[in-house]
Amino acid sequence: MDIIGLLKDILGMEVLKGITVIDIFTFILIILITLVIAKIVKINVRRALKEKVPETTLHTAEKIVYYGIIAIGFIVALPYIGFSLSGLLVAGGIAGIVIGFASQTVVSNLISGMFLMIEKPIKIGDGISIGDVSGVVKDIRVLSTTIRTWDGIYVRIPNERVFSSNIHNYVAHVARRFEYKIGIRYSDDADKAIEIIKNLLDEHPLILKEPAPQIFVEELGDSSVNLSVRIWAPSSVWFSVKTEMLWKIKVALEKEGIEIPFPQRVIWMAGKTHET
Amino acid sequence: MFGTYELNVELKENDVEIEIEGKGKKKIYRRKVGNEEIEKFIYAEDGKVVVCPVEPVNLPKIEVSEHLLIKLDKPIIVEAGTKHDFYVKFPLEIGVFLVDRKDIERIDIFTKTNPKYALYGPPEKGIICKWWESGVYGEVPEIDKLYEGIMKVEVENNYHEWVEISKMVFRAFDMKVFYNEYAYMHSYLKILKKTMAETAFNERKPKNMKRAIDIYLAKGIKKFEKKFVMEWGF
Repeated sequence: MDIIGLLKDILGMEVLKGITVIDIFTFILIILITLVIAKIVKINVRRALKEKVPETTLHTAEKIVYYGIIAIGFIVALPYIGFSLSGLLVAGGIAGIVIGFASQTVVSNLISGMFLMIEKPIKIGDGISIGDVSGVVKDIRVLSTTIRTWDGIYVRIPNERVFSSNIHNYVAHVARRFEYKIGIRYSDDADKAIEIIKNLLDEHPLILKEPAPQIFVEELGDSSVNLSVRIWAPSSVWFSVKTEMLWKIKVALEKEGIEIPFPQRVIWMAGKTHET
Repeated sequence: MFGTYELNVELKENDVEIEIEGKGKKKIYRRKVGNEEIEKFIYAEDGKVVVCPVEPVNLPKIEVSEHLLIKLDKPIIVEAGTKHDFYVKFPLEIGVFLVDRKDIERIDIFTKTNPKYALYGPPEKGIICKWWESGVYGEVPEIDKLYEGIMKVEVENNYHEWVEISKMVFRAFDMKVFYNEYAYMHSYLKILKKTMAETAFNERKPKNMKRAIDIYLAKGIKKFEKKFVMEWGF
């Protein structure tokens, strides 16, 4: 009986003006329950939408749901520790100015993050290059963007830097072009070489039919006749096509007796005659 | 080749061979087309196997394209305010599915065609389409039933001038594939402006034909759009 009375006394004890221990416990309990609910709802939103919406939309929906529930939880819980909503708005305004001055970089990153989400120059899963960092976008958070480099390294870039840098997005457009330079001997038939390459490209399923590949003599070089081969492929698969085709072109040309020459220089010796 | 079969099945037509064999739950699926051969293990006791044509946008690589571009070998010129019918051929992709009361599971999709892709529209806004070139026929054409299907096209020129049609783009989401011995689709092409047209499909099942398994519905994706607007010319 004494223990219950003691517990009641402790819980009813006033910690701050008008705030008892039980109020603080209630506040903490509401926040914890909110976090658990937010986590469960977030997981369920992901499961429900995973194969139905794009990854970027899914990610945004998850964040809206997660932070929305937490915000509601805070609004419900704050009166228990003596914060009223109207007071919070006034306090928030003043605190915002103070924090704004004190943490300009954070605010700058935050605003840059918001603009990145609105402008959407990059999306989760895109292959990009920002400054000297290249890789796949793994997450676009409020303050920073994380990238997994081609080597598998985790890189976190503050959003302010992302926003103010030149961004190269390799998959923003549905198709992209890449180019090979291929040198053949002066004694080889360039028209035949072009025909061989054209047939090879026609057989590959991932090389676009339209726009059609372009193959032409680009330069009469020092040691070779240089052909330019320009190929369009879907952006999602262009790299695998690029890595595959160069060697296949080389093999196909050699099979038909057309060789890629080494660099060479003809030297005329003084006092000797040249026989053809 | 097309139809519904028991779990243990052996089918052979020209250079296409499909076989599921095994006792009890453990079975082996084998498929051979030309020189290409695949094998998969299947753990199933109940259910049926369905072999049918599917929306022809899955190969060579899934998720690259959801549209089919049919380039006409000869352009068609259509008078203003008129309607006409013609037939084209489309590339055939054949799906093999396991079907029971609860679910449809795709085992395999294959084709005898040499698939290619093309870009429709500009690189920044356009779409990647499965590319196919077809003749234009006034009557139902002769086809290789395991290589291509027949598409009836009803063209309607709502524009106030003559138009020339050299290609058509269809969204796989909207496609309705039917089959008996061969694959069949019935599409509409409505000319809206000089460079804009709309494509859609007839959902009504023709007589003596079966409705093919829809790969999107089989994946649990709900369909909502019914028409595709060709914004970058036809």
